[in-house]
Amino acid sequence: MRVPFKMKASFKWKLVRILFTTVWLFGGWLLYTGSFEPVSLGLGVVASFLVAIATYDLFIAEHEAAKKGLLVRIHYGILYLLYLLAQMYLSSFAVLFNILRGNINPRIVHFRTRLHSDLARALLATSITLTPGTIAIDLQEDHLIVHWLDAKTTHSKYAGTLIKGKMETLLSRVFL
Amino acid sequence: MIELLVYLFLFLALVFNLMGLIGILLFPDPYTRLQASSTCSTTAVVSVFIAVMIDAGLSAITGKVFVITLFFFVSSPVGAHIIAHYAWNMGIVPWRKLRKSRPEDSSHG
Repeated sequence: MRVPFKMKASFKWKLVRILFTTVWLFGGWLLYTGSFEPVSLGLGVVASFLVAIATYDLFIAEHEAAKKGLLVRIHYGILYLLYLLAQMYLSSFAVLFNILRGNINPRIVHFRTRLHSDLARALLATSITLTPGTIAIDLQEDHLIVHWLDAKTTHSKYAGTLIKGKMETLLSRVFL
Repeated sequence: MIELLVYLFLFLALVFNLMGLIGILLFPDPYTRLQASSTCSTTAVVSVFIAVMIDAGLSAITGKVFVITLFFFVSSPVGAHIIAHYAWNMGIVPWRKLRKSRPEDSSHG
């Protein structure tokens, strides 16, 4: 009887990480070369595979590999980008009026997030900094410290819902 | 029509950039100045990118500008965050608005 071929778990995840990195890099290659000739495609696959072998460890950390956070729901991603853009313009106008009237009430607020993967948390902090009027100063595990230009409240939970808005819900749907 | 949209976004970029500069001059402490400069100029640059994307229409250039926008979405907040984080670790105390004292409070001395 033949013994079925079994891979070690760590080796399997290594392959998955290399494959994911290759796919992302090849997407970038396609976008920037902009041609579908066979030579170009073949070169792209080889080049992105070589780069993936060298850099998969930086691209996807080992403790993140087994989580499903690598897969992205693209339609929710696009929805998230549009929501972020709208939010950016809205709060930009708010900051604009704050500057014009010279009426600001800056405060430091602390709150928590319920996102789990590192990438999602980092994205949430980045989005908070990207929307005008709030800057994420620190992110420790799930604890965020935010500088708020025109603070409505200092209550932790209420400030969290006001600042995060729908971003947290949408982000938790973007990552499977 | 499309040209009008392009001009609208370029005008928005101008307004936000100007307001960011005025904010830097007016605001009292590092954190609030950082707010004014980074956030308003972020919106200004994104407006310019949107104008370019509308002007280019559906072509390879739009895709490239879109990728550049995504990079900018990551790099600009990270820069602002690093400055704010450094100021926080240095122990710079954020400026706070003083509460107006009421007349009945001042009578107590």
